[in-house]
Amino acid sequence: MTVYVVTLVIHVVFMNYVLAGTGYLAVSYMRTGGRNLGESAKVIKEWTPFLLSGAITAGVAPLLFVQILYKQGYYTANLLLFNRWMAILPVLIIGFYALYLLKSGWLSRRATWVASVVALLPILSVAFTGYSWTENHLLSVRDPAFWGNFYSTRAQIYTEPQLLPRLLVWASGSIPTFALILAWQHWYRGDGQPTQLARLAGSGLFLAATAAAGYYLVTDERTRMAFVTPLAVPYFGAACAGLIAQAVGWGWIYRSARLDLKRLIFPTAGLLLTVVGMTVCRESVRIAALGPVRFEALFSIHAEAFSKSGFLIFLAFFVLNAGLIGYVFWLVRHRTRSPETMDAALVPGE
Amino acid sequence: MMDAVIYPVNDFGPLMKGLVIGGLGIFHVFTAHFAIGGGMLLCYFQWLAMTGRSKSARIFMDGYFRYLVLISFVTGALTGVGMWFTSIQVSPVTIGLMIDEFHWLWAVEWTFFCLEVVAGYAAFKYGHLLTDRARLTLLALYSFAAWMSLFWINGILSFQLTPGAWLESRSIWDAFFNPTFLPSLLYRTIAALVVASLVAMVLINLAPAFSRDQREELVRRAAWLMAPMALMPVLGVWFVAAMPPDSREWIMGGSIAMTLMMNIAVGASAVIGVYALVGLLRNKLYVNGATATVLCLLAFAATAGGEFVREGVRKPYTMRELLYSNSVRPDQVAALREHGLSESDPFPLRNEEELPKVEGKPHPLLRTGGLVFREQCSVCHTLGGVNSLPGLTKGWDSDMKRQNFAKLQKLKPFMPPFAGTPYELESLVQFVEWVDQGRPGTWPEPADPGDHADRLVRIRRWLDEAGTQPALTRTGQSAKGGR
Repeated sequence: MTVYVVTLVIHVVFMNYVLAGTGYLAVSYMRTGGRNLGESAKVIKEWTPFLLSGAITAGVAPLLFVQILYKQGYYTANLLLFNRWMAILPVLIIGFYALYLLKSGWLSRRATWVASVVALLPILSVAFTGYSWTENHLLSVRDPAFWGNFYSTRAQIYTEPQLLPRLLVWASGSIPTFALILAWQHWYRGDGQPTQLARLAGSGLFLAATAAAGYYLVTDERTRMAFVTPLAVPYFGAACAGLIAQAVGWGWIYRSARLDLKRLIFPTAGLLLTVVGMTVCRESVRIAALGPVRFEALFSIHAEAFSKSGFLIFLAFFVLNAGLIGYVFWLVRHRTRSPETMDAALVPGE
Repeated sequence: MMDAVIYPVNDFGPLMKGLVIGGLGIFHVFTAHFAIGGGMLLCYFQWLAMTGRSKSARIFMDGYFRYLVLISFVTGALTGVGMWFTSIQVSPVTIGLMIDEFHWLWAVEWTFFCLEVVAGYAAFKYGHLLTDRARLTLLALYSFAAWMSLFWINGILSFQLTPGAWLESRSIWDAFFNPTFLPSLLYRTIAALVVASLVAMVLINLAPAFSRDQREELVRRAAWLMAPMALMPVLGVWFVAAMPPDSREWIMGGSIAMTLMMNIAVGASAVIGVYALVGLLRNKLYVNGATATVLCLLAFAATAGGEFVREGVRKPYTMRELLYSNSVRPDQVAALREHGLSESDPFPLRNEEELPKVEGKPHPLLRTGGLVFREQCSVCHTLGGVNSLPGLTKGWDSDMKRQNFAKLQKLKPFMPPFAGTPYELESLVQFVEWVDQGRPGTWPEPADPGDHADRLVRIRRWLDEAGTQPALTRTGQSAKGGR
């Protein structure tokens, strides 16, 4: 469970950037047709393909561990949603290529409405994927009798009252994460507009808090209580404290109109607390939905899985490859050519 | 499927499920091989460029890398996730068992995916700004990570065919370093180099910036990556020798489809190999864009044939000695012969309303037959499309169907033993005949209960004669009958 939560947090950070970033890009293209993109939109356009790649790669690990933790529910939901669920793959491929198309010279020679339509594709594909995951998740925790009835209807779309509020909490919560990573990117580049970023993050925090309140109102008692179980309550507290820390941190940036290391660390710590806290709370809600009998029945499966050899070798390679990834960053930062040896003709376009 | 958990089963219509996962798998393997070999090719070309051996290599690399990123990092990555999702659709029990056993090794593979993506993007995006040595280091890290992802997944996949000493020891390392691990890994590494080299030849011809001399030089350089193809026959023989004897029989004429696909793989590889070794390397011929494209298509055909055979020769298992294609474990067959499964399936038959009625209810034999088909047959057979069961049994009378289904593993050794009660087998026979006759609105009940009982006794006798074991055991010897 710990490995699942840790890897899911990594995935969530990438995913939040991609969701909100593609939304930001779509709005920017609608307003400008891609002709006079702002500084931030240019950064996002440049980096979102890599971050989508990161989101997909980071998503592989939680996808692996969820199959051990909640195998029956996860597989059954996949099977019940069938083609509708599988559709996320071609849809994501289209969205992914649209991101590359946005960077191409070909698109810059097209009419502005064409560019705007292409800029809509990534956000639509990512939003569809997010919707599908939420749908899959909610169906996976229903009781087996419900699955039998659902199967007989041949339906491939599942909905329930909490689906939309859950999605809204997640979608609006992605905005502060995105704003913070974007702020770090601008800090690294030495540009960016701190007050605009703070306003963006503040709107995200406000929307996320409002969506969370809406979720609280429409959800059932069992789900509400899941946030205050002995397992979840410290994390729920951490998530709330993180929200406050983010608000304070962004307020500081807004007032000073500066993006510096000292000011960025505060909202970063807050964001980390919120994302980790909410990820654990999400599992608590799932466990509550499964009920004690179904959840405790999984204990022996989890124990059996943990007893399999390979954990230490995973840990060793995790550390080794994390170190090598760090080395890659170091190489890029410290091993650039001197200007005299730079061959300007070799700059690759994407 | 038959353990504590029964999963819903989807109908793929006229498509055989194996074709769906096979089609996606072939495409994914081809793009993955391109990613692995492409990294090695880029390392080689970077070395050529930085040592002054080739001026054109540096120019070519950037264009090649762009295709690598656009194909491997997007479609390759997403079809990889797609393989997981499709595996769940086709056989959740198989993928579940694999994950139970190998999750930590899969997690190790994931750490290499992360390194591959970061090093690959860094080399692509910043390579032209870096020192030659730094760029080579990044490319080497990318190649190493890509190849290591092959290393880990190869051990997991080859286990499905040759679990080897794991069957006794249950050691994960016996499972991973199984008898086909090494030949398969080496063969795939060479295949990756070949794919990367052929794609390079197509791109060299497409790039307008190069003169004929430059193209010739680049083609000659890229062709060297195909030199290890000389080892392919040895590795192929090694792989075949390490296969279980019964699986070897399927490709030696025991199964027409397997033999045909094996021949396609061998034939296509041989054509590419001869062209590369004799034409390109020995006689230093030039390859134009059209020929390079044809060779690429042949490489795709070889990949398709090879992957089809790799999947198919496991029959009747998806995990050898552990799980049959229809998700029944060998040790469950005897119990299922007594108690059946259709009664405990929590998922109703979807087309129940189409069945003829008996006293206002769906025909009991046809309903049970539909469930048995879904549980035991639908993973490989359809009702009216590819490999359809009514089509395969056309011309058999009812008693032939009963006997042949009861002695399935004797009739065709790549089929698993029937895992149900005599009543379920009779139901399946009735269901197949009902479908074969165009799903009429009425269907007779057994006219004489005595006859029906006699049939069940006959079926029981045939089931007993066939026994509960597969036709061939792990040693490749014929299993003895009896239960």
